[in-house]
Amino acid sequence: MKKDSCLICQIVEGKIPSFRVYEGHRAVAILDVNGANPGHCFVIPKIHYPILEQVPDDDIAEAFSIANKLSVALFDHLGAEGTNIFVANGIPAGQTVAHFMVNVIPRRQNDGINLQWQPKQITEEEVATIELKLKDELAGTGVSHASRKAAARKSAPSVWTGAPRPSPAAWDGDEDPAVTHLRRIP
Amino acid sequence: MAQQQPTPEQIKELQEKIAKMSPEELKEFQKKQCIFCHIVAGKVQSRRVYEDEHTLAVLDINPANPGHILLLTKEHYSIMPQLPLEVLEHVFLVAKKLSNALLRAVDARGSNIMVANGVAAGQKAQHFIVHIIPRREKDGVVFELPQRQQNEDSLQQIANELAKSLGAPAPKKSAALLPDIMERIKETEHKDHQERKRKHERVPAKGADAPEKPSPAAPSGNKGEEKEKPPKKQPGGDINLDDIARLFGAKK
Repeated sequence: MKKDSCLICQIVEGKIPSFRVYEGHRAVAILDVNGANPGHCFVIPKIHYPILEQVPDDDIAEAFSIANKLSVALFDHLGAEGTNIFVANGIPAGQTVAHFMVNVIPRRQNDGINLQWQPKQITEEEVATIELKLKDELAGTGVSHASRKAAARKSAPSVWTGAPRPSPAAWDGDEDPAVTHLRRIP
Repeated sequence: MAQQQPTPEQIKELQEKIAKMSPEELKEFQKKQCIFCHIVAGKVQSRRVYEDEHTLAVLDINPANPGHILLLTKEHYSIMPQLPLEVLEHVFLVAKKLSNALLRAVDARGSNIMVANGVAAGQKAQHFIVHIIPRREKDGVVFELPQRQQNEDSLQQIANELAKSLGAPAPKKSAALLPDIMERIKETEHKDHQERKRKHERVPAKGADAPEKPSPAAPSGNKGEEKEKPPKKQPGGDINLDDIARLFGAKK
């Protein structure tokens, strides 16, 4: 797909007007004008990639961190009772535009959105085969992102300290949002 | 996970207890109740397909499709906003990798990545989970997001509110082009289809040039990159991602 003919690229470039609620270095968040619920946004990498597997790691990291910020904003400022992060990757998955995007959907009880599924019955053998194949595919493929960052930040002995809270710099509220959200879930 | 339904009194009592807990106590309390923490700890059996320092991926026992993966954080978080940024980024990079592996392991043709934050969003367990669901045509799974018409004023209001809380400038937008966006999608698709058809007839073989790295300094000025999508390196795989991406032009 050429960039010129991609609708989303035109939104990124501003050729098509949109409600741009956040702009990062690599990704932007747009309010969906025909959203599933009021406040439904999508986060799109600025560079054109049709599907998730093609999107570089840095773009993915930023897109989902923006999605997370949006999720918090929807909770805190638009009275969402829940949020969905949803990616349709490929046409069989329901993707309609050939530009990777992360949907962030504010939810309320009984809002008429259905993202549920009927569990499929699968034989034990089939599951065991899938497990083996997946393990095979994934063997020795540690994600380097965190460790790469850790290496860059030599001062920090370990990225993962088991600390339950987000870094204070990320939040401005009075109470730690981790705590706020703990209380939010019934 | 079958649990007895507690009585209203018990719920109330519990709620009061929870309200009094310190954050540390609260977390510890949730962890003890959490089936997925037990899975992470190995106290509950599961089919583990991937594991690293922050995450564990297991096969869902109630899968939407064969190969449905649950990606868990090892640490207990109820919902996504609780994750430290680094873990959050890491989780979705793992999700990308898992989605990629599913293409080959179960011959998927696409995937859904889904997170439910809160009961209203369909969350069933109090542990942050990313669902990675392999998809194929007509697999019986239906995730449909309704498109709802919204009026311009309320959109503007919501946009302002969101931008403000994200520290971005208030978005301005002219209403002019809105109604014909769908028209343009159709036009675009049609044009692409024609183009692809021509291209396919002309060059059946794939280009052998190395993948170009997008320049982070100039994210929007990458004209050359889209001319011919370079084949992505596929360690040990025979499915070309471009084939999946290319389907967009081939539909209808």
